[in-house]
Formats: sequence, structure tokens, C-alpha cells
Amino acid sequence: MAKYLTQRFVYMVITLFLIASLTFFLMKIIPGTPFSNASKLSEAQLSIMIDKYGLDEPVPVQYANYLLNLLKGDLGVSFQFNNVGVTDIIVNSMGPSATLGALAILFGTFFGIILGVISALKQNTWVDYSSTFIAVLGKSIPSFVFAGLLQYYVGVKLGWFPVAFWRGPEYMVLPTIALAMFPLATASRFVRTEMIEVMESDYITLAKAKGASWFEIAFKHALRNALIPVVTVLGPLVVSLMTGSLVIEKIFGIPGIGEQFVKSITINDYPVIMGTTLLFAALFVVVILIVDLLYGVIDPRIRLAGGKK
Amino acid sequence: MKKSKYFLLLSLMLVISSFLAACGGGDDAGKDKEGADKTAAVQELKMLESTAIPSMDSVMAQDTVSFTTLNNVNEGLYRLDPNQEVVEGVADGEPTISEDGTVYTFKLKDAKWSNGEPVTANDFVYAWQRAIDPENASPYGPYMMDGKIKGAAEITAAAAEKKEYDLNTLGVKAVDDKTLEVTLERPIPYFKSLMAFPTFYPQNQKFVEEQGENFGLKAENVLYNGPFVLTEWDGSTDEEWVYAKNTEYWDADTVKLEKLTWNVLKESQAAANAFETGEVDITGKLSSDVVPQYTGDERLLNWLEPTIFWLKMNQKNNPALKNVNIRKAIAQAINKQDFVDGVLANGSIVANYAVPNEFVKNEETGEDFRAINGNELLPYNVDEAKKAWEAGLAELGTDTVEVRYLGDDTESAKKAAEYVKNQLETNLPGIKVTVESVPFSVRLDRENAQDYDLQMAGWGPDYLDPMTFSDLWLTGGGNNKMDYSNEKYDQLVKEAQTTLAQSPVERYEALAEAERILIEEDAAIAPLYQRSSNLLVSEKVENFTYHLVGPEYSFKWTSVK
Amino acid sequence: MMSQEKIAKEMFLPAEVDATKSEEISKPSLNYWQDAWLRVKKNKGAIVSMVILVLLTIMALVGPLLTNYGIDQQNIKHNNLPPRIPVLEKVSWLPFDGDLTRKNGDVYNAYEMKNVDNYYWLGTDSLGRDIFTRLWKGTQVSLYIAFLAAAIDMVIGVLYGAISGFVGGKTDNFMQRITEILVGIPNLIVVILMIIVMDPGILSITIALTITGWVGMARVIRAQVLKLKSQEYVLAARTLGLSNGKIISKHLVPNLAGVIIINTMFTIPNAIFFEAFLSFIGLGLQPPLASLGTLIDDGFKVLQLYPYQMIIPAIVISLIMICFNMVADGLRDALDPKMRD
Repeated sequence: MAKYLTQRFVYMVITLFLIASLTFFLMKIIPGTPFSNASKLSEAQLSIMIDKYGLDEPVPVQYANYLLNLLKGDLGVSFQFNNVGVTDIIVNSMGPSATLGALAILFGTFFGIILGVISALKQNTWVDYSSTFIAVLGKSIPSFVFAGLLQYYVGVKLGWFPVAFWRGPEYMVLPTIALAMFPLATASRFVRTEMIEVMESDYITLAKAKGASWFEIAFKHALRNALIPVVTVLGPLVVSLMTGSLVIEKIFGIPGIGEQFVKSITINDYPVIMGTTLLFAALFVVVILIVDLLYGVIDPRIRLAGGKK
Repeated sequence: MKKSKYFLLLSLMLVISSFLAACGGGDDAGKDKEGADKTAAVQELKMLESTAIPSMDSVMAQDTVSFTTLNNVNEGLYRLDPNQEVVEGVADGEPTISEDGTVYTFKLKDAKWSNGEPVTANDFVYAWQRAIDPENASPYGPYMMDGKIKGAAEITAAAAEKKEYDLNTLGVKAVDDKTLEVTLERPIPYFKSLMAFPTFYPQNQKFVEEQGENFGLKAENVLYNGPFVLTEWDGSTDEEWVYAKNTEYWDADTVKLEKLTWNVLKESQAAANAFETGEVDITGKLSSDVVPQYTGDERLLNWLEPTIFWLKMNQKNNPALKNVNIRKAIAQAINKQDFVDGVLANGSIVANYAVPNEFVKNEETGEDFRAINGNELLPYNVDEAKKAWEAGLAELGTDTVEVRYLGDDTESAKKAAEYVKNQLETNLPGIKVTVESVPFSVRLDRENAQDYDLQMAGWGPDYLDPMTFSDLWLTGGGNNKMDYSNEKYDQLVKEAQTTLAQSPVERYEALAEAERILIEEDAAIAPLYQRSSNLLVSEKVENFTYHLVGPEYSFKWTSVK
Repeated sequence: MMSQEKIAKEMFLPAEVDATKSEEISKPSLNYWQDAWLRVKKNKGAIVSMVILVLLTIMALVGPLLTNYGIDQQNIKHNNLPPRIPVLEKVSWLPFDGDLTRKNGDVYNAYEMKNVDNYYWLGTDSLGRDIFTRLWKGTQVSLYIAFLAAAIDMVIGVLYGAISGFVGGKTDNFMQRITEILVGIPNLIVVILMIIVMDPGILSITIALTITGWVGMARVIRAQVLKLKSQEYVLAARTLGLSNGKIISKHLVPNLAGVIIINTMFTIPNAIFFEAFLSFIGLGLQPPLASLGTLIDDGFKVLQLYPYQMIIPAIVISLIMICFNMVADGLRDALDPKMRD
């Protein structure tokens, strides 16, 4: 196990390095200037600014500088904000996004699994159909529409929750619901499919024959075996939700990283793009590793590392 | 095996929960807001902004949110009042101006920084030198000073060629602690209004040097000398900040408002929703999609911004656009009235001009600049457009013209693109318009590289004078970027900048004639509309003040009913 | 039990024991797919959904031709008109009478107010374009993107995942690291690059989708294969000397059907909304082309004034998604070899 983990760790570092390098060069292929007021600047002034930020160096030199700074733990300074470090930007905007994403994943998965189990057990009844309907709606209506409707009807018309901003628990309710529709739908669909399959296996029949209760069969025996695809799909979903949703953050005025990232890309704020990409990629490879380890926990028959264990 | 499994699960849960706890803890800190402060007499308001504050260093600031904040928590020699008139700031009374109009001497008031130190003439000299210093690469410093303040352009040019330069050659001097002397390149009739712009604000040298890298990063890393002080601002990623009344301000008696809380909310509909529930008292500028909901509502505040949107026709690449008839055809083929009434529907007006309406008045006659040329330069006219089109095609010896269209970055960009494409293709047989949607940075790059045919672009002024629009189209000008060149145009604008600088009537006439040449004779650009601003303001707000140039709002005179 | 009637002896017949008939196959011989089809047919929901999908596809192709309006025919004087359909406008409870409600609750007829005699069946948008025409054109574009994304998923994703999971060991490790790198590079950068290198449009969006779209599927398939390959029947097949290719195609793929289908069902809306997201940030389709995603996006902005502009495309996209899912569930049940009766 330790050997496997060390090996994976080495791979993770290599993967991150490759992601950082590829992203860096892709960014450099895209033409564009990070100076938002470029159209107002004279040529002399532009050349001063390009010089100051080292953008006139050849790309390999810029790349080498970037890697050197990275090794020192220096992610650089943002272009869009004057003199603000990329680390500060990421640390400050990651908090709300991660909280919201985690809440959405927790609620979405929890209710998704329940919905999925129920509809698998009551296959092809109205319960099943209506849970399919909910899941499909959750999947087919874009989250900004949900967000907008929730904000208007629950926030403005009913006045139950604050319509925007990020100041405390009550402010999290509406964005969490809007964002949770997606994991809810995903989890419930995969659980249903897998549960139906598992429920036909011999060991479930055996458990039934032995007189195990409905609850015991569903949650103790069947669900566990139905979780493999759910975990596979939800793993990366955790990353994508925790790293922020542009639209939800925009509509609810949440100071998150999702919007920050998209904005950085469209305005060519290289340092922020690179820093955020590295963070996302690191989260992603860690989650993938956790998912791979979870396979073994959920189903002991799965052997990783080429079955050497 | 079994044990290790549970251990793994357990450690996983630990990791997740500690992560969550860390995140949860992070945003509670310093953000607990008092809940009930809804009594009518309380001088507190809440307002929305579209982005966080990118910079609180007046020298480095380059966007309206930064300028607006600086304008309320700091002060330059002058500031703009609710009637857009220039009124005293740190300057004590009117400046003494030399006979040739190039040397201004300002006396300063006994104003104080928030650390108790007096605001001195040296603070201005220091800030201005920082702004022009190529080491800092300030975007707005050289933009606002080159060609205006003596010596500025030379410093920029020397630095660009990597030659020696001396910041002390900049035409700004502290005669004594309370006397500031500014030398100009040439007489500038609007110089006083320029002094209201945040790039020309003072900075306390000792404080800035003490703070070093941290200057302007957070509320405590800035000094204040304006009507308010900034509190609870955690830096550029903070989407909530507060103005508190500055009791040390020299004119603190005028300031009624005790507290103004700002939040960032980008979506206009969300902003309107927050306004409806009373979470905010004033929204930010609303997108045109939301405005029609409030037609006839008294809470909707609408004013004409001096920002014009036009199609720039790049004469560099496409041979068709070099032809004046083709350009005239394009300029006349777009029904602007339908666009502003039907599509924008937010109070924007048709623009058949290159200098905005309700922007500047002649200081001698009091007449709006637009009174000279009116709103009739090359208006929408399909018949004329078709005639010019036929003539142009004949001159080119072709019957099809393909043009690429580069959109702007406003919320109505997509609709504008669809509309312009449709209008041109409907009214001008043989034209094919390809709309290119690219990210903001790429658009800037294409503009700089002149890699476009038609570009929808808007221009808002930085100071109160037609020159901020007229000098855009000078041959080789920094903002021309479409290879437009007309000797007569250049000559008229140069005259307005130099020989006519001190005769307002003739100067306006020269600039108006230049505008006529630009549009009517050369059809260099095709103006479409002048934008209107809309925001929702609660009935309890009194004397809400917006501005036409630089900073967007002032709260010095605002109060709660 | 108690009052059983007496049964006459004549009612009993001795069974004919014919050794030759005991091996007779009473049902017609069906291969896997015929059998699956038989079971799909039994699922009413799936059949109805299939019919609706076919109808929607037909409408997507012929719908834009049914009106007198082009997809880019603008008439600003007729903009923002609500739906009005001849005959149906007389039915008061149907929303086809051209009425709109103001924010304060007033109801007015937009057609009368603007003096319009035309009938726009599903209303017009802010540029005065006919929504019926644009809706079906948009459906066409969205279906194209959806099918393409699904196809890429099926081919590249399934193959990649199956190979990675089945071969395992170093190969698996290597292949998984490649997908991690692909996912790690921000999608948006890849898209922007495509748009700049190849000019914006459906093609560049399609290629951008292709580059990373299949990774999710590959991961799910790999996970399933990891699970399946250690199961007894695979071991048995291997012991019996079946080749790897045969094991994958005969034993694994049928067992993967459920997951493949479900995952495809998720790819489709993802692809549709990724396209919408692109137009949300100003990239994506070249105007005036529409997709369901961009129509919803545009309609959402004026939701409170002209709700029909968002509701109509939202209904169509939901309908497509629900039908796809019903069909998928039906297919899944039908293809699962364990459910053969």
C-alpha cells in the first residue's frame, strides 16, 4: 500500500508539472494583452508596461522564470488588481466556493442516493417515474435558471431567505439548493441503475430468503455495491463544484473563485490563470486518488496496482 | 485489511471536515453585520457595485470602481459637485494663472490625512511623480499627463527607448508647504476639471514608503483625506466594503451620511431583486434587459451618459473600407432609432455625432457643444446608403464585399452584433458580415494590431472637454487604430489645442468643423447611439450624485430622508 | 379447501411423455438484439418517448420551414410579442392569445398595443424574430451537438476506459495519468484556442468538446471494468481460453450497457449546456445562429417581463432530456443480460 501511494504521489507531481507546462504554453499561443486599458495607451507607454511585467522576454525564458518562482512558492502578482498576490486571490475566493460546493455535494448526494434507492426498489411505478422526472429536470434545466427562479420566488416573493450576498448560514440556502440539483440528479440516476442490477444478484436473493429486512437489504447489502459508478462520477464533480460555479456566484453575489477564474481567462491575467489551474489540477488528482482508493474500500474484489497487493 | 479500510474512510472524513471547518471559519471573520438598522433617521445606506475594488492606489487605479471609491475617501485639488461643476477640494479658492495660461499656482487648505498629518504641496508632487515614473508603469499616469503637464511626454518617451530620465523635470513644484505650482505643456482650458481626476490626487510620501509593497492593499494600508474613510475592506477580492464618515474632513459639516455599505452583485436582475427586498437602497447600473420592468417607476433614475458607441471602420486591411462611398453606405444603412427604442429601450438616444450630447457647454455662451452641428451628421437613410453603395461597388469593380465584425464587451454586445449584421445585409445587397466573438483580451489585441474590419466600440470621456473625443482621430493617434487620416482634421484639432486654446467660441467651432469632416465627409466612423444609465434609487435617498467623467458617484452631499 | 367439488375422473388425462419433445424450443429463436427490442417494446414509456424524440427531430428539420419568417428575419416594430395562434387564441385558458402581464398585474394585449396583425405562434424575441422558427433551428443545433458528444463518448470514452481498466497495471496507470492531464488543463483555454485558431462556430465548439468530452465516460467505464473483470464469470471465460477481445465484447460490454447509457444521458445535457455557457461568456455560436442553450440564456434575461421567451425553449429541452432518459432506462433494462426472461 505504501509503495503504491508513493508511486501515485510521484505520478501526481509529474502530472501537475505537465498540466502547468501545457497550460502555460497554450496561454502563450492565445494572442491578447492583460492590460485592460490597452486602447488608451500610447505605444511608448505600452512598451514600458510590457517591459515591466517581463512580457517581452522569449516564451521559454518566461516559462523558466515562472517555474523558478513556482519552486519558491511564488505564484506571482495579478494583472487585474494592482499588486495583489495570486495566492491571496485564491485563498480569499476559494473559501466561499469550497463551502458552497461542499454543501451542494453533501445535500445533493444524500438526497440523490435516497431518491435513487427508492426508485430502484419501486421500479416502473409512479414513484420511480416522478423521481426520474425530478432528476431529469435537475439535469436539463440550467442552474442559472434554477438560481433565478429561486431568487425571485423564494427570495423576493416569499421572502424566506436573503436574495443575495454571502454573510452567514441563511445566505447559503438558496445557492446551495440551486447548485445541489446537479449532483442530486447525477447521484440518483446512477444509484437507480446500479441498484436495479445489484438487486437481482444472487446474494440479495439470499439475503431476502434469509429474511433480512427491506432496509437492511437496500442500505446494507445493495447500496454499497451500487456505489462504484457513483463514486467515480461524483469524485470529479466534487472538484468542479468546489472550484466554483460562474453563474451561481454571479447571480447570488458570492465572492467565489469560479467567476474569478473565468474572468482571468477572458482578460488574460496569466498569473491568476496559472495559479488557479494548478490548484484545480492538484485537487483533481487528489480526488482521483481518493476515488481509486475508495474502489477497494467499497468492493474488496477490486485490486489496484496491478493486483500486486 | 478490514481495519485499514476503516482507517482510510476515517482519515478521509477527517480531511473533508477539517477542510470544511477551515472554509467555514474563513468567511465569518469580520463579516457579522448588524441586523436591524432600518430606522428612517439613520444616515446609513447600502449600494451595489459591479466589481470589487481593483486598486486603492490612486496612481495605479485605472477603472471606474477604483476611481469612485478614491473620489469618496480621498480628495484632489478640486472635485465635481451634483451639478457637474468643479468645486474646491484641497485647493483654497481659484488658482492664479499666468498670462499665457501655462503656469497654475494653487493655494492649499489646511486639510488633514487620516493619520493627522497635514496635506501639503509636496504630497501632490510626490504622487504625480509616482504616476509618471516608468518604474511604476502606471496605466493612467502617462495617459492623463503626456502632452498636458510639462515634461511628462519626454519622460515616457525616454523610458520607452531605455534612456535616462529625471522625474524632477515634471512640471509640478512645491513652492512651499501650502503652495503648488504646475507648469503645462500648453494652455488647457479644462485644466481645473482635470484636477478632480483621481490620478492627480495627493499621496503622503512617508506613509506610502512605509507601507511599501502593501500600500493600497487593504483598508488600513491607505490614508484618507476625503469625506469618508474606507473601513472593512480586505483587499481586491473582498466583495463588501464600507465608507464611514471622516470626521477630520475639512468640510465634514456638509457630509450627512454616516455609513455606506457596498456589495458586489453583477447580475442586473439579481440587483433589482435585492433592491425589491430592501437589502440595498441603490443598485448599480442596470442592464437594458431589466430597465423596461421599471418604466414609469419613480425609483428608476435615468441619465444620459457621455458615452458614444460607434462602428470603427478599419481602413488598413479591407480595400472596400478604404472607399469612402462604401463607408458612407455602411454608416447610413443602420436604423438607429429602431435599435435604441426597440432593442436597448433604456433611454439611450440615436447618435449622429462624434462628441456626445449634454456633455460640455461653451463657457462663454453657455451653449451645449452639440448646438453647433446638431444631430444630423450622416443619419440613417436607406436610399442614400444604397446610392453610395452602388457608387462604391462600381469604383471597386466588384459586387460583393465581405467584412468581419468585432463586437464590444457590453451586455448588449450580442444583440448589437445580430442587429447590425441584419441591417447591413438587408439594406446593402452584396455585403456579407461575419460576426467574430472573441474573449476580451483577444479583442484588445486585435484592436491594437488593427486586425479587424468593423469594430463596435464605445468611448467614455476622462475629462470635461470635447477634446477627449476629438483627439481620438488624429493621424497616428493612440486610439485611432483604423488608419484614418485627414490633414484638415488634424489641423483643426491642433489649432484647438494650441492657437485657439484661449478663445472658447472659435475653439468649439473648429472642433465642430472637425467632427463634421470626420463623419459627413469621410464617414470614418459610424456612430450608433449615446448610452443611457439606469439605476434604482430608493425614495429615502436624497441628493444622490452621479458624474459624467472619471468617478461615477459622490456621496459627500447624499443623505437619508 | 373444505367444500371441494368432486372432480370427475374423466377430466384427467395421462401425460404423454415424449423424450424427443423435451428439448423443443417453444419460443422463436432470438438473438441478443431482437430480444432486447422485444423488451423495449413492452416498455410503454420508452416507446412514447421514442416517438416524441422522432417528432422533435422531424420538427427540428422541417420546423423552420413551416413559417413565413426566416431565422434572422428581424422586425423591431414587432419585438417582444407573446405567442398567438389562430383559433387557439379564442380558448381563454390557453396562453396563445397574445396577452402579457405587467409587473403590477395589469393584463394587456401586446398585439393590439403594437397594432400587429401577424400571428407569431410562439411570439417574438427582442429583435422581433419569430421564436417558432428560431426554436426549431436551435433544437437542430443542440441535437447536433448532443448526438456528436454522445458519439464521441461512446467511441473514444468506452474504448479508452475499457482498455485501461481491462489491461490494468502500467498501461492503466499511464492512460489514467493522460486523462488527468487532459482534465487538468482548463477547458475554456482549449476552447478559446480553438476559436482563435479555427474561427468561432459550430465546428470549433465541436472540436473543443471532442478533446476532453470523453474523459468522464472513460473513467466510469474503467471503474466498471475493474469491478467486472475480477468477477467469477470473467475468470471462468479466461480459464476457458477466451481471447481478451472476445471477453470484452461478449462479456463486458453487455454488462457495461447500463452505465454507458446512463452516462451518455448525462453527456448530452452537459454538451448542450457547455455550448450555452460559451455563449454566456460571449464565445460560442456565431450570431444569428441559435441553440436551445442560447435561447434559454437570452430568455432568462427578460424572464420577468416576457416569461415565454425562456419557458418555450426550456420546455423543449426538458422534453428532449426526459424522453432521452425514458428511452435510456428502457434500453438499459432491455440490454441487461441478467434481465432476460
